[in-house]
Amino acid sequence: MTTSLFRKCAPVVALMGLGLTACQPDLEDDFTPSAGTADFSRYIAVGNSLTAGYSDGGLYLEGQLSSYPNLLAGQFRAAGGGDFVQPLFQTGQENGSGYLRLTGIVNGSPVTAPVTTNLALRAGATAARPLYTKYTEPVNNLAVPNIRLSDIETAGFGNTQTSPSNALTFNSYFERITPDGNNQTYLARVAASNPTFFTNWLGNNDVLGFATAGGAANSLTPTATFTDKNNKVIDALTANGAKGLVATIPNVTNIPFFTTVGPAFKTTLTAANVPGLVIQTGAALGGPASGNRKQITTADIRDASGNGRQLFTLISSPFLTLLNQRSGRAWRYVYSQSGQPAAGFPLFLAAYGIDTTATFGTSAGNPIPSLFVLDDVEQGQVLTATTAFNAAITAKANEKGLAIFDANTFFTRVAASGIVTNGVTNNANFITGNLFSLDGVHPTPRGYAIVANEMISAINAKYGSNISQVNPNDYRGVKFPQ
Amino acid sequence: MNFKFLLLAGGTLLSSTAASAGGYQVTLAGQKNNGMGGVGVGLSLDQAAMFYNPGALAMVKDRGVQLGVNATLARNAFVAEGGSQQRQLRNSTVTPFNLYAGFGPAEGKFRAGIAVYTPFGSKLQYANGWEGRTSLTDITLESIYVQPTFSYAITDQLSIGAGLMILAYGSVNLQRDIPLPDSFGHIELDGKAENKVGYNAGIFFKPSDKLSVGISYRSKIDAQVKDGDVTFTNVSPSFASRFEATKFGATLPLPATTSIGIGIMPNENLTIGLDANFVEWSKYRVLRFDFDKQVNGNTFSESKRFYQDALTFRVGGQYKLTSGLTVRAGGSYDMTPVKDGYVTPETPDNDRISGTLGASYSFGKFGVDLSSQFVSIQKRTQTQQDLLNNGTTDRIAGTYKTNIVIPGLGLNYNF
Repeated sequence: MTTSLFRKCAPVVALMGLGLTACQPDLEDDFTPSAGTADFSRYIAVGNSLTAGYSDGGLYLEGQLSSYPNLLAGQFRAAGGGDFVQPLFQTGQENGSGYLRLTGIVNGSPVTAPVTTNLALRAGATAARPLYTKYTEPVNNLAVPNIRLSDIETAGFGNTQTSPSNALTFNSYFERITPDGNNQTYLARVAASNPTFFTNWLGNNDVLGFATAGGAANSLTPTATFTDKNNKVIDALTANGAKGLVATIPNVTNIPFFTTVGPAFKTTLTAANVPGLVIQTGAALGGPASGNRKQITTADIRDASGNGRQLFTLISSPFLTLLNQRSGRAWRYVYSQSGQPAAGFPLFLAAYGIDTTATFGTSAGNPIPSLFVLDDVEQGQVLTATTAFNAAITAKANEKGLAIFDANTFFTRVAASGIVTNGVTNNANFITGNLFSLDGVHPTPRGYAIVANEMISAINAKYGSNISQVNPNDYRGVKFPQ
Repeated sequence: MNFKFLLLAGGTLLSSTAASAGGYQVTLAGQKNNGMGGVGVGLSLDQAAMFYNPGALAMVKDRGVQLGVNATLARNAFVAEGGSQQRQLRNSTVTPFNLYAGFGPAEGKFRAGIAVYTPFGSKLQYANGWEGRTSLTDITLESIYVQPTFSYAITDQLSIGAGLMILAYGSVNLQRDIPLPDSFGHIELDGKAENKVGYNAGIFFKPSDKLSVGISYRSKIDAQVKDGDVTFTNVSPSFASRFEATKFGATLPLPATTSIGIGIMPNENLTIGLDANFVEWSKYRVLRFDFDKQVNGNTFSESKRFYQDALTFRVGGQYKLTSGLTVRAGGSYDMTPVKDGYVTPETPDNDRISGTLGASYSFGKFGVDLSSQFVSIQKRTQTQQDLLNNGTTDRIAGTYKTNIVIPGLGLNYNF
């Protein structure tokens, strides 16, 4: 017998006819989802790679499906939420932009390899300018990887037709969801989306690009510009009275991209009695006497306990073993990242006064490239910008009465003490921490699920809604080779 | 009565869903008592006195044998913190039992007997994929005590008794899922407890036909598992080298219980009992498993319990309607030993309120006892903040509610 009446109230005691029943207790009525003062019928997500579901250094179908907006929309559904359309990569092209996968752990070090099959590249794509299979149906998730808040009023941001004149501002991901020949700005696209509820998490790339380049490339957006653009996007979203949530920008120096390499490197240097290093800092041209060289002591490298200040980026890892060798490999790598013709390499070395016959990392002639180190001064610049940007985000949200997910506070806490989800421990460690993907910057599906839950808490608190959370443990951390 | 036969019977019948006493204690020892709120310490109803108060056995005039079986039908609901999806147990019915045989001279001052009962037990099977899967998926905890008992009436009003309480059978099977970065493995711990001996003793005083009082004590036994089996399943090859253990050891305290009871007999047909039990649960501090090899980098696991001593209050009565038919009713209030922030899926516990009904019919020397209990374990919520505050994040935040219905059937034969 499997009827629900039997399930709920298995009659007992035929023996005695006492009428007692083994009633299934019911708690669901205590937790019925509701929308409160919000209206989730048309939810629009605005943001960058974090909002798109970018993970493992790429955007691919699995990451899209576990993007926090998709998870939120799934939970909103029980409280009147409508359909939520994302520009998903289709089967056969499910690996999207390509991404990193873990192929093994060798001597305790992770080995990754790029996934290059089933990509969503279309004719005309180049490494410098990938073009993805178009998705021009209306979408609810307007996220565009790599977009900075400073880009939202750039015309032709998603139009190949004017290339190469817009080569420096062109964004392949926005182009993907924009009809051909359309010069619409991101802000205009957002303004036309007409949400009843929105999330907005823009601005990370206004500091992140500078930070992940070790201060060697990409500028920090001026605070005045940031504030202006942020106000414009929020005004556009709330023009028709929509409610929503905004997220602050985490202090990027807590992510594994910056915290993984340094501690091990410091241990190695200490064991070898290496007192310190010479690094290049900033992006300015010039040789050893120009002021772009900097001495750092081994003791000043930040370790796992938080002692020391200097941060080494994840991409520095393969090159640090060359320390004290007469090697130009690091510089060849740095130059290759510029996308310039190989013939220009000697000029590049000359412009920075690099002598590859000098010892790497221990002489002013062959310092550790700026790209590999976010030094204390640069961290100060990042922190100052982050604080100013978050002040702008928070002020505007309060002005409009919006919910706020303070991602900065949250990720700082996670970095310090981890987060337990239904009995499972997670932290900000690379690979083993469950929260950060193989790029060391973007979350795993588990990480995105936790972000969604934090947003739900903020939404419920602000709008008196009762949106239930997802179980983060249903979503994976880093995928291991089978 | 054949001792070995008793144990074999136990092997098949045994086990009980955490039933009508806090924690994993089960108080389903006599079918007549079950119908009247579980009272019995201050009464001398029948051979089940060996459990409730061995001191009262000498006052039980009849010699006889009785066998009782219960079916515990537990229904549990759980909603995780922040969630709205209700989880329910994969329902299972289990059958704790009891058996008593009392002997002695018709007019003598003593009675001897043997009792077999299941004082502790638990069986819970959680829904597949539920939020607390890494704390627990399934638990089966079983115990059988065999108690040879002797009771002596010092005067017509005062009797004493004691029994050797042998943990004749004990077993634990505990299963949970192991969180891996991209999947879930599964671990099963399965072990048998070593035989151990404790004691049960009591004093019974009946100053008048209308009043009796009793006090009894059951000692603590530490159920100890050595060389239990550890089995891993679903651990993907990438992680297999981290799960090497094959054996475990653990100790679970089966705590001492002190009880006092009063019996009031206003007239020949009416009997009322009041009991209070005090269980020394505070002995249960941690649940520790020691492994022979590493389990994900550790050779042991330890989880805080920090139980507190708990009281149970019981009231019940019986009324003899006709020479053959007796009816019963009762209830109890059982304070949980589990503190806020320490609730685990093994014992999703809270204060319990029980109501009972029962009836007996006797056909000369032969009798049938029926009982039914309804136990409501109160709704209990613990938050993630509670868990963080207590350092008990190895379990899960959410709200539990459990109802249990326990019908019981007993047969007795007096000689």
